[in-house]
Amino acid sequence: MSLISTRELSIGYLVKSGNKVLQRGINVSINNGEIISLVGQNGVGKTTFIKTISGLLPSIDGEVYFRDKRIISLTTRKLASAISLVLTEKPGSLNLSVIELVALGRHPYSGSLGVLRDKDKAVIERVISETGINYMANKKLFELSDGQLQIVMIARALAQETDVIILDEPTAHLDLHNKIEVMRLLKKIASQGKAVLISTHDIQICAQLSDRLWLFNFNSPLIQGIPEDLILRGAIHETLFLDKDTFDLEHGTVNLSQGGIPVVVEGTGNTVFWTAQALRRKGFEVTDKSDLKVKCNNPAEWNVISGTKTRSCSSLEQVLNILEQSSNLQ
Amino acid sequence: MINQYFEASVRKWRGLLLFLAAGLAGCFLLNLSFGSVDIPLKGISSYLFGKSTGSDSWDLILSNFRLPKALTATLVGGALGISGLQMQTLFKNSLAGPYVLGISSGAGLGVAVAIFLGFYFGGFLELSGIGRSWLLVVSAGIGALLVLLTIAFAANRVRDSVSLLIIGLMFGAASGAVISILQFFSQAENIQAYVIWSFGSLGSLSWIELSVFIPIILVGLIMAFLLSKPLNALLLGENYAISLGLNMKLTRHLIIINTSILAGTVTAFCGPIAFFGIALPHLTRMLFNTTNHLLLTPLIILFGGILMLLFDIIAQLPGSESTLPINAITALFGAPFVIFLLLRKKNLNYTFQS
Repeated sequence: MSLISTRELSIGYLVKSGNKVLQRGINVSINNGEIISLVGQNGVGKTTFIKTISGLLPSIDGEVYFRDKRIISLTTRKLASAISLVLTEKPGSLNLSVIELVALGRHPYSGSLGVLRDKDKAVIERVISETGINYMANKKLFELSDGQLQIVMIARALAQETDVIILDEPTAHLDLHNKIEVMRLLKKIASQGKAVLISTHDIQICAQLSDRLWLFNFNSPLIQGIPEDLILRGAIHETLFLDKDTFDLEHGTVNLSQGGIPVVVEGTGNTVFWTAQALRRKGFEVTDKSDLKVKCNNPAEWNVISGTKTRSCSSLEQVLNILEQSSNLQ
Repeated sequence: MINQYFEASVRKWRGLLLFLAAGLAGCFLLNLSFGSVDIPLKGISSYLFGKSTGSDSWDLILSNFRLPKALTATLVGGALGISGLQMQTLFKNSLAGPYVLGISSGAGLGVAVAIFLGFYFGGFLELSGIGRSWLLVVSAGIGALLVLLTIAFAANRVRDSVSLLIIGLMFGAASGAVISILQFFSQAENIQAYVIWSFGSLGSLSWIELSVFIPIILVGLIMAFLLSKPLNALLLGENYAISLGLNMKLTRHLIIINTSILAGTVTAFCGPIAFFGIALPHLTRMLFNTTNHLLLTPLIILFGGILMLLFDIIAQLPGSESTLPINAITALFGAPFVIFLLLRKKNLNYTFQS
């Protein structure tokens, strides 16, 4: 049975003149061990969807189920042991220590004064070692970097021991290293049988981490499927309003200029990729057929072939200089 | 590792709380001893064990004046501090205090109306001291209660706490305006009676008044202990608190009621004692470096009692006949202390993100 499922769910918010509906007729479900990414532009309703299925906002229409029960019929305490959240907002007080923050995850289970029992302490200890945050357990939150804080917030959600963890843009302000850490952690969480729902704009999370994608579009129904299908069908490009020629999903790179002087790049591996990248950045178009040719021999030697003339270079900077000179001559 | 951490922290906090409790007892004795007449500590301790100080006049001073005043001071400090703490956490705002919801303004309005109507009908000055003080207590209580009921009604209507904060501030402004109008139309004696009430006073409670005051404050403080867990969850922000299973509406109501009981009762009996409610939570958080409400609650009760007893000793001007208004002393000696701690800390990380 699905952990969370929706039936003809409409989401949105109340405004003076009635309901502002962002998405309607959503029928989706998420199962144990699945990582699902919610993709869409700003303002399409990702956060509203997250808040609706976690019970923070009322739905406009339709139902959200946890297992076979409607979430509005569950008590807040029961819901808190079913779904945990990592939102984009920072905690209100950053003077908590890491261990105190993680301990707050035990709120639904601890005694009436919030005193931790042995079981609670065991869970906190396990979560802290699982997420690898032992080294900062005694630090205050204001001492942490954004990346560390995100991991700690995930640890807090884990301490809540829920079947479903929902994260709103978990990698939004993170550098690549921290992003990879978070992705690795989410993968580990899913492999333990929890369902992970992520809202994101991040192409790498969509394509490399998720089992399925839910694409939210303005004024059209939700599209779902596995990431590769959706990439091949061009659905992701459509959802994120990306131009197919500009954005290269395979490499995650952006081609900002088009229609420059055509250049052929030859060679193998990494060097070719970065050479092409450098040429595109400078406004050349990398094609299959042209008089201008750049041959990559190894990461420290290039040949620039222009008609019959061949010149060798020892850095990409030189390559670009030569190409720019010859394109000025033309 | 975790167990060691928790055991060490339990040991540390237990020691600190015992130390503060001893300090509170010491300040209590000092407070009884100092005043216009100095009573030796030896006499006080024998009096507290049911015997006499050795002098009938000392016995009389202790039982009629000093003991009621010291008991009041002990409870007032903690009560104001706790309600300030609750408001700061609920509104995630370091500038919030026990009076942000307009409770003291409501009480002030009640007192102002009572005084001015009393003069208008001519009966006020004829009332005996006891009758007059009860009149003030009851009218202040009614004023505070009316504000509380309105705020509780508003808490049902608005979703977020910040709107509630603004509504409370508007109440304060409106009550202040009405008080100004009343003052504009009244004679000097009325205004003086009102101003003296607004100075605040710890020493005006009789044993009969204390028999009402002490139980209400104790109930409020016990309730504050029971609210530690939801208040801790609120440290994360309302959305996280709800996702942790907190019933936000109920919690908000309970916090407002708790604060109003504490701040409203203190204001009704002792007048609007300013500064303490805002500053004490800051002082306690900075000095003891914790945000856990289960610890902050006893810390503030003990530390607030200590400070209020000390301030009262200063206000008595030991060795002299006159007494300064307690409101002046709390701010005069408290403000430099807070400023010193802030300069030393150099940042406000200990408090809330806006």
